[in-house]
Amino acid sequence: MASDQELIIQFQASINREANFTALLNKHQQKVYYQIKRIVTDHADADDIAQQVWIKIWDKLDGFKMESEFSTWLFRIAYNETLNYIQKQKKQGTSHSSSDILDYENATASTDSPKSTEIQIRLDRAISQLPEKQKVVFMLRYYEGYDYEKIASIVGTTIGGAKANYHQAVKKVESFIKQL
Amino acid sequence: MEKDKELNHQDNIGNSLEQDRAWAESLLNKQNLSQFNLSTTEAPLNYFESFPDQLMNRIESEKRQKLEKKNAKIFFLPSFMQPLNRLAIAAAFIIVVGGSFIFLNNSVSKKTQAGIVANDISIQELSNEEIESYVDANEWIAEIDVQAQMQKENSKLSSLDEKQIEEIQKIITQ
Repeated sequence: MASDQELIIQFQASINREANFTALLNKHQQKVYYQIKRIVTDHADADDIAQQVWIKIWDKLDGFKMESEFSTWLFRIAYNETLNYIQKQKKQGTSHSSSDILDYENATASTDSPKSTEIQIRLDRAISQLPEKQKVVFMLRYYEGYDYEKIASIVGTTIGGAKANYHQAVKKVESFIKQL
Repeated sequence: MEKDKELNHQDNIGNSLEQDRAWAESLLNKQNLSQFNLSTTEAPLNYFESFPDQLMNRIESEKRQKLEKKNAKIFFLPSFMQPLNRLAIAAAFIIVVGGSFIFLNNSVSKKTQAGIVANDISIQELSNEEIESYVDANEWIAEIDVQAQMQKENSKLSSLDEKQIEEIQKIITQ
């Protein structure tokens, strides 16, 4: 399997652009989608944002200088697009992030996964109430196992800032669960 | 004490991934955390299989839309700068300016002709006093008019034959 770098070089050299782009897409689409869905929770929103992210990648891949890892650049774009989307929705008054928590709980409870317990619902709600940056840092560190340098590049902060965000996220979720 | 504990935790953050995970699990419960992960990493059936095709179709249609917009812009806005259109605009300009010049010229000459006819009638009908007061007020214009009249009369006289001249002389002597 070709590396990201090889695929990008070929894409930039206009050799089978679509095929190389699709190969990159197939490699990373799931992680991008999950990263987005962990923030917006709604599938339609996550799908919309994911499409916008990949369209941006298609448009800007020619100018990518490979100074950072492709995945870091990709997740940074995904993070920014998600924040933009949430801000737009907040302006239009159609945000899913806080007002649709009940819908989200119902959705998660009705999936094929084991039934949500009381504590599970509390955890879902607590995480959904975290500020976006802390939420993303927590997800990328705990679930994806990224190092703080990469996380800092994705969310646009320092390594120390990313560590502090992880710490605050866990502490906030703990106190949310206790309060609920 | 609590604050010291928290600072110790914060100092430990980032030492290793395992440590960070273990600390979060000690506070939030490992099972719940993995359950949360399951619920957020779900997607509709065959979503990832169909996503690339959907995306490429969207990219293709957006490309087409951009191209259409670009073409539309070329047709409407920069058309002003197209060489053929520039010629058409120049021709229309010449027609408008030339046409209005001809039209204005015609109406001016008609007005002056009408003025001369009117003058002919009024000179014949006016009394000497009226003519004199008019001449006093518009001496130089009147002079031109008189000279023009005299020239006319002279030309009339020169075109007369001998019989006609005799008749006129008879009328004058009477």
